Amino acid sequence: MSLLERLFGVFSFLGHDLGYAVSYLIQAVLYLIVIALLLILMIYLFRKFMARLQQRLGPNRVGKFGSLQLIADAFKLLGKESILPSERDNFPFVVAPMMVLIGLMLAFVLIPYGSLYWIGSITATHSAVSVILIFALMAIMPIGELLAGVSSHNKYALLGALRAVAKDVSFEVPMMLSLLAVVMMASARVSTPLDMESLISAQFLAYGILQPLGIFLFFIAMVARASYTPFDMGESDSELVSGYSTEYTGMRFAMFYIGMFGTILLGSTLLSTLYLGGYSGPFSSSIGPIWVFIKAIILVLISFTVWLSLPRIRIDKFVNFGWKYLLPVSFINLILVGILTLGLGW
Amino acid sequence: MSNLVELNMGPQHPSMHGVLRLRLKLDGEIVREIEPIIGYLHRNAEKLCEMDYFCDNIVYFDRMDYVGAMNMEVGFLEAAEKLLGVEPPERAQWIRVVAAELNRIAAHLVWMGAFGLDLGMLTPFFYCFIEREKILNIFVELSGTRQQYNYMSIGGVYQDITPKIIEEIKEFIKQFPKKLEEIANLFLKNDIFLSRNRGLGVIEKETAISYGVTGPILRASGVPYDVRKEEPYLVYDKLNFDIPVSQKGDNLARFMIRLEEIRQSVKIVDQAITKIPDGPYFNPKAKKSLMIRLRGEGEVYARTESSKGEFGVYIVGDGGVKPYRVHVRSPTFKNLSIIPAVAKDKMIADLIAILGTFDLVFGEIDR
Repeated sequence: MSLLERLFGVFSFLGHDLGYAVSYLIQAVLYLIVIALLLILMIYLFRKFMARLQQRLGPNRVGKFGSLQLIADAFKLLGKESILPSERDNFPFVVAPMMVLIGLMLAFVLIPYGSLYWIGSITATHSAVSVILIFALMAIMPIGELLAGVSSHNKYALLGALRAVAKDVSFEVPMMLSLLAVVMMASARVSTPLDMESLISAQFLAYGILQPLGIFLFFIAMVARASYTPFDMGESDSELVSGYSTEYTGMRFAMFYIGMFGTILLGSTLLSTLYLGGYSGPFSSSIGPIWVFIKAIILVLISFTVWLSLPRIRIDKFVNFGWKYLLPVSFINLILVGILTLGLGW
Repeated sequence: MSNLVELNMGPQHPSMHGVLRLRLKLDGEIVREIEPIIGYLHRNAEKLCEMDYFCDNIVYFDRMDYVGAMNMEVGFLEAAEKLLGVEPPERAQWIRVVAAELNRIAAHLVWMGAFGLDLGMLTPFFYCFIEREKILNIFVELSGTRQQYNYMSIGGVYQDITPKIIEEIKEFIKQFPKKLEEIANLFLKNDIFLSRNRGLGVIEKETAISYGVTGPILRASGVPYDVRKEEPYLVYDKLNFDIPVSQKGDNLARFMIRLEEIRQSVKIVDQAITKIPDGPYFNPKAKKSLMIRLRGEGEVYARTESSKGEFGVYIVGDGGVKPYRVHVRSPTFKNLSIIPAVAKDKMIADLIAILGTFDLVFGEIDR
């Protein structure tokens, strides 16, 4: 039984087609709410964690321990005037932040979360090629950033967008190569290695242990994808004001902001699924989502520590790093995994 | 070359220190031409000084280098007291040294935190400001305010240093070196920080001298020039401290020089605080009721070492109760002039890093 089946059980009186349509819709809304709540929780966690590292108190005024601060912030941003630059290219300017958010939200749907007590499996949808699909959806986000930068007609935004693209080009190849290593290793054990669920079931031992190089590469790629320090050249606040999001205000700006935190969460979830066994864990098989969440939150905290303690890398140095170091290392990783899988039969 | 992009950086820009505006000509990411434009914080302080009594002019100097206001006061009083012929008593001189050096530490901490922010490091900023806050708390007890102290007055200081404040300073000096090493490690044990700053923005010795650069930037280029040693004022000749010099002249050298200067200032305060003699803290010739009657005639120029470099004050008196002309040699203004030469043909990120090491305070540049 899965969440969808249970919903259909309620709406089966509408007939097969309409019933499924309604249940899918409700499921989608549920997902949106849960992910939004998780993101709010994460941003709150970030602010508290940051304050802790910096010997401050952090949000502590709205609600108990400032727990409602993010809700208040969301309402503030909703109520803000949306200032549109007169020189903009209207359509791409408006669409760009949505593209960032849509790519992010869709990618969340494809991640397997396992089953939770009586509800059953809460994985939203299955696809035989969900691994490829997730990365394809994530590839929408840089396009949104580029569009935002170009359509703002602002020199800072343009420079930021160009930097963001240069950065994306240099880490995505190593990222995909390390992903290939994971799929390669899984293909020795399961027949559909491109399906996230079977990737997890193929992990007799967490791939993070079998592929230490791979998890390292993937983590760097995830930091770069989420574009926070040290890889925030695209929106570096001390150089380019705010990079590609310079001209955005109010809710549109919030979309980029949420997109950034969402990418951290998505990256951590992906990393925990691909390398740390995802929803599988000891004790019980019916607390899958909790395992995903625990693994992800540990990775998120590691990301925050990296974010808050390192300075920014210069863009040309990062491009150098990507092509001269990350790429060869990812090939080495691929060869090592090949030897492990084919030679030793792991 | 017509295909260069012109970019106005500042005056409203998150990493421009104060209200500096740079007109850049960009070739992609590379900066081909730089033109600093100043004047957005001009308050006509030198002219205002002509309209006020000598004793009231201190407030305008407080608002010049507002992160190191004690040093500004010392600079002005060195000149004004020479002109008016009012010698501050021994005790006041020692108190001034303590205050000035504590303020130098605070100013360098502000710089260090802001430099971290320029490079994208969020955390060290708060560590620096927590330490600075402790100094400011001491200053609140000493003078009553946090930034624009108006603490020193002609012929002495406005109020005496109490044993309680001395204890507080001793306590601060005791715990501070450990914290400073902690902060320094956040920077110096970070490979990204080192790789971004080593060998960047090198200023040659001759270039630095020809541009009139002073302060930590000059010393980082290998010139051991510090007014506190060259031409000691107050009681600096009775104190034992070193002038850190580096031969490298790059960003990292400037960072190291300022770091070492903080350590030396700690050393100075540590010595001075135990040596404050008993006695009056102001010269009776300049007590409050007589202060505005002080008259000065002639020309004086006095130079002191502020946290940014050589701070010179030139005063002309025509025998009246107000100065005839006041001119300030602002160190950061001279230091800023070298930026187009140093940061040319570097990337935008490097320009920001180089600018970060110059410790610009616009209150002083625009005046």
